[in-house]
Amino acid sequence: MTQSVVNRLLMAALLTVCAVWLIIPFGMAILWSLVDPSEPWTPDRLLPPVMSFSRWQNMWENSSLKPALITSYTLAPLAALLSMGLSMPTAFAFGRLSFPGKEFYKLVALMPLVVPSFVTAIFFTSILFNLGLHQWRFGAIFFAHAIMFMPYGIRILTVSFEQVRQDHIDAARDLGARPLSRFVVAYLPALKPGIFATLLIVFIQSIEEFAIAYIVGTPTLTTIPTLLFAQMGQDFVRPNAAVLSLILVVPNVVFMLLLERLLRSANPSMASGKG
Amino acid sequence: MTIPHWLRVALLLLPGVGLIGAFIGSVVFIAIAQSFGYYNLTGESAFTLDDWRAILDRRLFERSVAYSLYVGLFSAVASVIIAYPLALWLRKPFPGSSLIGAVLKAPLLVHGLVAAFLYVNVIAYHGIVNQFMQWIGLWTGPRVLQNDDNAIGVLILQTWKNMPFALLLLTGAVQAISDDVLDAARDMGSGPFARFRKVVAPLTVSALQAAMVIIFIGAVADYSFQAIAGPINRQSMAQLMVFFKGDGQWNNAAVVGVSLMAIALIGSGLLALVARLFVKGASLR
Repeated sequence: MTQSVVNRLLMAALLTVCAVWLIIPFGMAILWSLVDPSEPWTPDRLLPPVMSFSRWQNMWENSSLKPALITSYTLAPLAALLSMGLSMPTAFAFGRLSFPGKEFYKLVALMPLVVPSFVTAIFFTSILFNLGLHQWRFGAIFFAHAIMFMPYGIRILTVSFEQVRQDHIDAARDLGARPLSRFVVAYLPALKPGIFATLLIVFIQSIEEFAIAYIVGTPTLTTIPTLLFAQMGQDFVRPNAAVLSLILVVPNVVFMLLLERLLRSANPSMASGKG
Repeated sequence: MTIPHWLRVALLLLPGVGLIGAFIGSVVFIAIAQSFGYYNLTGESAFTLDDWRAILDRRLFERSVAYSLYVGLFSAVASVIIAYPLALWLRKPFPGSSLIGAVLKAPLLVHGLVAAFLYVNVIAYHGIVNQFMQWIGLWTGPRVLQNDDNAIGVLILQTWKNMPFALLLLTGAVQAISDDVLDAARDMGSGPFARFRKVVAPLTVSALQAAMVIIFIGAVADYSFQAIAGPINRQSMAQLMVFFKGDGQWNNAAVVGVSLMAIALIGSGLLALVARLFVKGASLR
């Protein structure tokens, strides 16, 4: 049997497995979200007997979905902007400067990824209680998200700063550009994909974050993941949980695909139009 | 006036590494301090080992540690065992390989809670798995598959979610091995398994370690998969910590939190060491 035949057989087998692990679960979720309340979907039927968007409408009108969407989609862009802004100076230092202990500081920057998120969430709440700031839920989650996801920004922007070509900076300086103009003409073109990638990855991480939003935000502040978790616990109604799952997953898939394109295009010479 | 180099570096590091160090450092510090009786939210704050003694003596804690280790270790090992052959297969591009890579990595895009919902939906009492098993005649009636005692559901979910991450790291590592190296091994008479043991595994051990460590830390501290799909008679360490916190027992939560951090740190170090020794031993055999 030739290699290409083996590949084809393996591919067919694998695509079948993937259909089982992706198409069936998502297909079921879509169907459950369309089950009309007038007639239940019983096990003896292959498809829901009556399909409509009434569950979607019901979730929109009668649940915490609207405030959760507002909170999540306010929190995420703000956290992304703050995280990117805070990451930039450190990324510049890591990418463009030499100094003793650089590798150590790079490890310190990864700390939020190493400490389990529920430990961070619970003892951050404890700090808030100790400081008397436990009612400051939105601000606390916003602040925590910006810091927790900074490692992604620092890593991505460090690579972007490393890729800025020294001859571009020198040329700008030789032509009399001031520091701000130098940043705009020499750094910014190479940094752009990294900046967008940072904004997008922190945005996605913030939208998806559960531990801090759950521990710090409960009971008054709801985000989409905490609402979904509640719907899957004591308030479990399968069609409602299906609606929320799809609301959480679909935009993220689109954003992640966009992120992949951005990271692929993070080529400095291409981005700067020179090279 | 020019700013001294050290001061410039310090000012640049302050908003990034400085804030991270202060934030995570405070969290870890308060966890450790509360586990020893300091910073109590109610009552007096004074040094004590009582909370450690009380928690370490409890069977609940012991079971929780064993359970979290079981989930962490199984998830890390299963993910890399499945990812390795797939990474090797996808090393050289072939028609359709990018599609397969994309489909395999798709779970990375799915939120853990959504994954848990999709899973419990499929294995529900009247779900598709039960229907299928009855249709092919293996089962006479539907069975309760959710919240099974052996945490098979949690392990499936962890592997489903983490295998693509291991695949991502291992694919990069195996693609970095040049054809010349593998051709030389083949010319010297090495079969596929010997090539894997003596060439591929040693050259990709760093990616293997990184994948295992990151998956282990995430899985050992799992909360949501356990809360939704895990056995109802056991608690993961994160779940136990949340339970104590919810009950106002902050010191006990702190003991569990500090233990969880220690287990994640020591366990991941040991796992990385064992992976390296295993690969080294296999390559010498």
